[in-house]
Amino acid sequence: MPSETFELVGHVIDSLTLPKVLDLVVAAGADYKITEMEIGRTNVDPSKLKIEVSSDDIGTLANLCDLLHAQGANRIGDQDALLEQVVSDGVLPRAFYSTTNLETEVRVMGTWVRLKYPEMDCAIRVTFPGTGGIPEGADPKVEALPMHKARTGDWVVTGDSGVRVATPERDRRSSAFEFMASDASSEKPKSLIISRVAQRVREATPEGKVLAVCGPAVIHTGAGPYVAKLIRDGWVHALFAGNGFATHDIESNVLGTSLGVSLSGTEDSAVLGGHSNHLRVINVIRRHGSIARAVEAGYVRSGVMFECVQAGIPFVLGGSVRDDGPLPDVYTDTVKAQDAMREIVPEVKVALMLASTLHAIATGNMLAANVETFCVDINQAVVTKLADRGSHQALGIVTDVGLFAAELLSFLDDPAKSSTSPTSTPVAKGA
Amino acid sequence: MQLPWGRHFLLCRPEQFGVLYEINPWMHKEVTADPDVAWDQFHLLESNLKAAGATIAYQEPAAGLPDLVFTANAGIINGSQFIPSNFKHPERQGEKEKDVLWAKANGFSVDELDPSVNFEGAGDTLPFFPEGSQPVLIGGYRFRSDVVSHRSLSDLTGVPVKSVELTDERLYHLDLNFCPIDEKRALVAECGIDRYGLKVISSIVEEVFLLEEEEAISFCANSVVVGETIIMPACPPRVGRAIESWGLAVVVSPVSEFQKAGGGCRCLTLALDVDLHSVVS
Repeated sequence: MPSETFELVGHVIDSLTLPKVLDLVVAAGADYKITEMEIGRTNVDPSKLKIEVSSDDIGTLANLCDLLHAQGANRIGDQDALLEQVVSDGVLPRAFYSTTNLETEVRVMGTWVRLKYPEMDCAIRVTFPGTGGIPEGADPKVEALPMHKARTGDWVVTGDSGVRVATPERDRRSSAFEFMASDASSEKPKSLIISRVAQRVREATPEGKVLAVCGPAVIHTGAGPYVAKLIRDGWVHALFAGNGFATHDIESNVLGTSLGVSLSGTEDSAVLGGHSNHLRVINVIRRHGSIARAVEAGYVRSGVMFECVQAGIPFVLGGSVRDDGPLPDVYTDTVKAQDAMREIVPEVKVALMLASTLHAIATGNMLAANVETFCVDINQAVVTKLADRGSHQALGIVTDVGLFAAELLSFLDDPAKSSTSPTSTPVAKGA
Repeated sequence: MQLPWGRHFLLCRPEQFGVLYEINPWMHKEVTADPDVAWDQFHLLESNLKAAGATIAYQEPAAGLPDLVFTANAGIINGSQFIPSNFKHPERQGEKEKDVLWAKANGFSVDELDPSVNFEGAGDTLPFFPEGSQPVLIGGYRFRSDVVSHRSLSDLTGVPVKSVELTDERLYHLDLNFCPIDEKRALVAECGIDRYGLKVISSIVEEVFLLEEEEAISFCANSVVVGETIIMPACPPRVGRAIESWGLAVVVSPVSEFQKAGGGCRCLTLALDVDLHSVVS
């Protein structure tokens, strides 16, 4: 069991500091053992104690360190993190510390330095700006380092000592989301949940960004116009998707079909020759050189991608091996796609994962644990998958994305509606 | 029996006083202190102290140090020893040099604490002389002073320092929470000290008068006891009745302009006649 030893010196018996410290330990759910005790003979002599505090949860220990420090109990044997230099580009030292997406601090030259933006499954790089090596008195910077970005000479944290990770604030979230105690459920009142999502989106802006991660089903189910309006109205500030989403979005807005199926038809909606529609669209965009230029030229006049270009919001289209075309904006080098996404995620406060599996997981891998993440999918397994890959903060909403987007928009359009808690059955506005 | 200290005080005229920054919940730069009213209140406090039998020494005001008027925060006195404060906020850190100069010029020997440890003098440390036993220092910590300062303070003064944790940011110094009346009694703000601290105080002080929140927020614990007189910034009725029943005369000396900066009567005075070894030695 992880443990830390604290030293307490002074008039700790008369001042009731000792009982207070022990109460704090017990209240935090940790255990203690007094390993050394020297009681002052007179009431002027200080007493001196060593207390070993142990807990299963290193987050609890880290929090206790702060609490006990304020009571004058100092951790002994506090160690700086061990640093090792990278000797080959893209290869980390053998014992590199592997990160979580939780708030992390690293002890460098006696000071705890907070990790700039926690990202899971990375190493930690320590830099000393303005200097060549490890200098005296420099102000070190600590950041998550994806493996491929390691460069020869970088200082990387190895081993576990000198690294502490904060426990996520469960309480804060559970109070707002008490009604959805399980991470995903198809048996919850959707309208109530979506009204809370709207509230979160509203709270996140304008300081933070709202990110939409979209799968092609957004377009197939007819939710495209709602997502486009979310962007137009300023509720969404960044978009991650793939070649398929962008292609079908443009196809539906230029030719009225999605994968050749008419979105406006009422009866037999497959369009003759429609199977090649998306290829023709990709071809035209490739001729223009980029989606932005196709918008400029008037070829694309509506839709999600159109609104992104109009509003100037950043989008990252990550490619895959089964892509047709692809669109000229698609990153065909997935590592470059990741890095482009990394540029955007630090400002994201709310992430909406809309009917997307691969891009949702890719994004989830990069988000810090304090980013409110809502995963909307008709399939409960997608939500589970996201959580299984470490994005424990994700809350699942099992519903059709078309219904979700329409409902979210109606709550955002009408502030009075989302501030109250509707209990009625949600009204589907058509998809 | 009367307090064995509190007949000789250090004050600083409010020439440079003003609310120029915000370092406690009372300070709001947009709520400026009226200099004329501040001077009137200061003169009234001076004459009340003198009328009660106290003598006054003065610290020179200094430009850019508006809070130098709160001499209680300069440090603590023990006989001829002066232990200067290490102010927590950079806004007040310039005061230390002035305080040390004053102390040296006036024959005090200066003992300093480790400069990395926060400590705000008599604002957070008050002596108590319990009947029949050794004097102690009661030290408040959390908002302005670090608990680790108490151990060094005990080493330097040779008396035990009993640490009490402060809990209400509005009552950020011990002297807003605790006022020794005599060798048996004290006013104590229940809302401003944690339960351990309250226990520590009641193990030292025979008769604790617990102030209710509203009473404490009136700064009535920030009072100066001079012999059989208590000079208070405000005197809530229940508190006044208790004090009078103990045989003390209450003098209310309003300091509203100084309260805009978070200070009361006690904050404006530093007792120069504290000698922790005067009774038992």
